[in-house]
Amino acid sequence: MNLQAVRSIYYFEMARFFRTFLQSFISPVISTSLYFVVFGTAIGSRIDQVEGVSYGAFIVPGLIMLTVMTQGISNASFGIYFPKFIGTIYEQLSAPVNFLEIVLGYAGAAATKALFIGLVILGTSAFFVDLSIQHPLAMAGFLILTCISFALFGFIIGIWAKNFEQLQLIPLLIVTPLVFLGGSFYSISMLPPIWQTITLFNPVVYLISGFRWAFFGTADVPVGLSLLAIAGFCALCMAVVWVIFRTGWRLRS
Amino acid sequence: MTAMVKISDLRKIYDGGFEALKGVSLEIREGEILALLGPNGAGKTTLISAVCGIAVPTSGTISVGGHDTITDYRAARQLIGLVPQEINLEPFQKVMDAVRFSRGLFGCKRDDALLERILRQLSLWDKRNAKVNELSGGMKRRVLIAKALSHEPRVLFLDEPTAGVDVELRRDMWDTVAQLKADGVTIILTTHYIEEAEAIADRVGVIAKGELLLVEEKAALMARMGRKELIVDLQEPVAEIPEALAAYDLRLIEDGRALVYTYDTTADRTGITNLLAEIAAAGLTLRDIRTHQSSLEDIFVGLVKEDAA
Repeated sequence: MNLQAVRSIYYFEMARFFRTFLQSFISPVISTSLYFVVFGTAIGSRIDQVEGVSYGAFIVPGLIMLTVMTQGISNASFGIYFPKFIGTIYEQLSAPVNFLEIVLGYAGAAATKALFIGLVILGTSAFFVDLSIQHPLAMAGFLILTCISFALFGFIIGIWAKNFEQLQLIPLLIVTPLVFLGGSFYSISMLPPIWQTITLFNPVVYLISGFRWAFFGTADVPVGLSLLAIAGFCALCMAVVWVIFRTGWRLRS
Repeated sequence: MTAMVKISDLRKIYDGGFEALKGVSLEIREGEILALLGPNGAGKTTLISAVCGIAVPTSGTISVGGHDTITDYRAARQLIGLVPQEINLEPFQKVMDAVRFSRGLFGCKRDDALLERILRQLSLWDKRNAKVNELSGGMKRRVLIAKALSHEPRVLFLDEPTAGVDVELRRDMWDTVAQLKADGVTIILTTHYIEEAEAIADRVGVIAKGELLLVEEKAALMARMGRKELIVDLQEPVAEIPEALAAYDLRLIEDGRALVYTYDTTADRTGITNLLAEIAAAGLTLRDIRTHQSSLEDIFVGLVKEDAA
């Protein structure tokens, strides 16, 4: 295992994050605050409580998940796509590193960034609403697992993408709608029965539900199922990464 | 000398069906400078890419320092430094960080003293804290070389290292290459510039359409294929070559003001003494004489044309 290489890639990616630290830090703070102003204050004042939790607090887990998923994907996909785009990938390909080490470096850094931003949102939320986390360990577990899974997913997108448009395609057309329709801002019990059933086909529902359970102890779906969903998604991404590794798909000519 | 790089029957067919390499076999000796000459699309970069792990060979084997580049890729790649043809650099990185990153990728511990030596050797030390996008083209190219040297490779591939580089910088680059050779590094460079191969290579390989046409000692190649021309400037122009000189197969140039005699430098007798005597006997007056040795370029163009025919 070439740990030095993993470290080099990881630090390189983190350096990019720190170069734009203000932007990385301020933009989630601003967008979170906006969500609280719009959803928490304007709309939330008309919704009293959801499942015994004030609406402002209720949306916190969904808000964190929304950002963590999109940030995990965008950081990892850009991280590996950019060297492909500008041609610097030759170095990683000609160095004594295997694909696992490359993935660890890029996806690890993307997961770290997503985790950091998730925690920033959690901290910002505390300024707007009273938050108590009933299962802190489970909360941390869900959060970390989500960061890792979506960083891996982003890595796959970055390898797959042949241009910047494709890089944006899956996050914009698939992930964002799934997250918004996955109960980020509402409980699925608020939906008509037919939509409740349809919603269960949205994998993001399980992630947000489990994460919300860790905060408030209430969930749309059993927490075991949530854990299985996120672990399954993580395993699926790892399997795809493994196949890419075996074949050198879209990396080596 | 032992073979540092051994390539056996290397074939590369790209997905689209294009056969970039058609069974190339080549041994590169430790410590030598081998120049690979060839026109655009000849397969030079593909050959380098296959050795360095960027392209996967369709068939054939490659070993570097005795390590197979597929089955023992870590050990093989550890020995290789690659300077690519394109200036592929992360634009916002500082020079020192870029070089440090490369060293880390090769699993080497941080060694700033070594990196300082490399940057000084390449006249980049003053720019160590400059961002890559603030550098001139020539400096960027040297950053690529510094990155390739950061893990102290034993074999260095330079893919067109002086393309688009001014004359002064090219000479500097040649000096750097000479210094690396003195340090015992094996160097393989591809180039369009024949004079580059002529100036610094020990051996020259000519590649065209995916085939290696020849690999030979530069001096031997030039001696074997080198033809020399003797140009005799005449005091008065002549309309045609005198009958008496027909045996010498002369050419008349410059409106009859000069005669050209082509001869083989390796022959026992070049015939120059007799020719000059007979020119005098034919009543022509010599004004000056010049000689011209055919260059590697002439040889190269000849070879590639022959191959195309």
